[in-house]
Amino acid sequence: MPERVAVTGMGAVTPLGHNVEDTWRNLVSGVCGIGYISLFDTTGFDVRIAAEVKDFNPVDYIDPVTARYTDRFAQFALAAALQAVEQSGLKLDDSNKYDTGVIIGSGVGGIGTLSQQLAILNARGPRRVSPFTVPMMIADSACGQISIKLGARGPNFALTSSCSTGADAIGMAYRMIRHGEIASMIAGGADAAVSPIGLVGFIQAGAVSRNPDPLKASRPFDKNRDGFVVGEGAAVFVLENLGRAKARGARILAEVIGYGATSDAYHITKPLESGEGAARAMELALACAGNPEIDYINAHGTSTPFNDLSETKAIKQVFGDKAYRIPVSSTKSMHAHMLGAAGAVETLVCCKAVQEGVIPPTINLETPDPECDLDYVPGKARQVDVRVAMSNSFGFGGHNSAVLVSRYAG
Amino acid sequence: MNVFDEVKQAICRIQPGIDESRITPEALFKEDLEIDSLSKVEMALALEEKLDLNLQDVELNDVKSVGQVVALIESRLKVRNA
Repeated sequence: MPERVAVTGMGAVTPLGHNVEDTWRNLVSGVCGIGYISLFDTTGFDVRIAAEVKDFNPVDYIDPVTARYTDRFAQFALAAALQAVEQSGLKLDDSNKYDTGVIIGSGVGGIGTLSQQLAILNARGPRRVSPFTVPMMIADSACGQISIKLGARGPNFALTSSCSTGADAIGMAYRMIRHGEIASMIAGGADAAVSPIGLVGFIQAGAVSRNPDPLKASRPFDKNRDGFVVGEGAAVFVLENLGRAKARGARILAEVIGYGATSDAYHITKPLESGEGAARAMELALACAGNPEIDYINAHGTSTPFNDLSETKAIKQVFGDKAYRIPVSSTKSMHAHMLGAAGAVETLVCCKAVQEGVIPPTINLETPDPECDLDYVPGKARQVDVRVAMSNSFGFGGHNSAVLVSRYAG
Repeated sequence: MNVFDEVKQAICRIQPGIDESRITPEALFKEDLEIDSLSKVEMALALEEKLDLNLQDVELNDVKSVGQVVALIESRLKVRNA
């Protein structure tokens, strides 16, 4: 028998708040976290908007020395992980330190550190480059720092699947616990790509919205959508073997009940138009859980012309006529595309939806696209008795992942 | 110029939040100040830039105390200014 996997802690640092509660409250209220970029001078850039984490001060969470020698993405991950562990009440000691692992994924890792040090190299020569360049830029710096901070000595690695990263980190952790390999995992995703090279890379790839209005640019499933908006942040979970969590008296927030992943094997940035790979990922996640009824889908919904259409097709392939009766929303309309953190923060939204019975809306869906004809919960949050929710994540490289969570009912 | 003050400033930069009274000539980098080998490189780079020196040939593993760095820099400055 596979083990059941409980969510006992959640942490988040997002453009909508520095914790889960603020983020959730803003999502339910339809607040948009996108604005003009303040982190660097955007003179000469075709795009000047992003969803930044505002007023983030790493020393609110970690000591100043660690803060100095970690990239912004790892600082977000550390802050979110500490919140999650505090909520879970999980205490690591000699009896369980090897039974707790960490998987924190990142799409672009320490791209900010890399670009800063490259500028120093070019301007001032090789002798001036920081000895911390590599320890700060590597994508596994976040999980490494978290394990050091918490004393978690179980398996520890980063994974990267661009915009599916967060979902795959949770999916891998879920499988390890489900298969009885480990008791608890700290898992999630983090990214901080709002840097000159990060932003311009996405602009040049043609993936980013050119809409100059920050509050209107991310408009998933709308006819006038023209690309995603770069966001940043982290979301981290404490996942535990349900029996072990109950035995220590933990509060169970939700359960992870399924995960499926596939690849399009088609194009490095474009999804398969038919949505076939995405559909198969959803079917695999459903099969894990014995094909339950789905009450809510948090869409990948990037606001790119390609994604939103192929995802709509994929949902219809999986659910047939029932697809029209399942509320689907894209919270990227508010927190934008948090890249490697997206799948984690959106799984978190699903956990809150099953806990609170509320579905956050897709904002800016004003002009329906005739080809995107599902119920996208436009404009306003909706009260729904959500028992099971699905989070979809797809990424450059052709990755498709779906995570299924359910309300904990004993 | 007071070389000790320059070294102290560099240490404060690489170890933000450090109690400055701990930075004495006798203080050992590893044992007293929790400065590891990478941070020591960072300190050397900061001092090179500030004082326009080249410390590339120095075996930093052999430099254990604040006083040793001060003495090293003072001797380099003397050679340079001679």
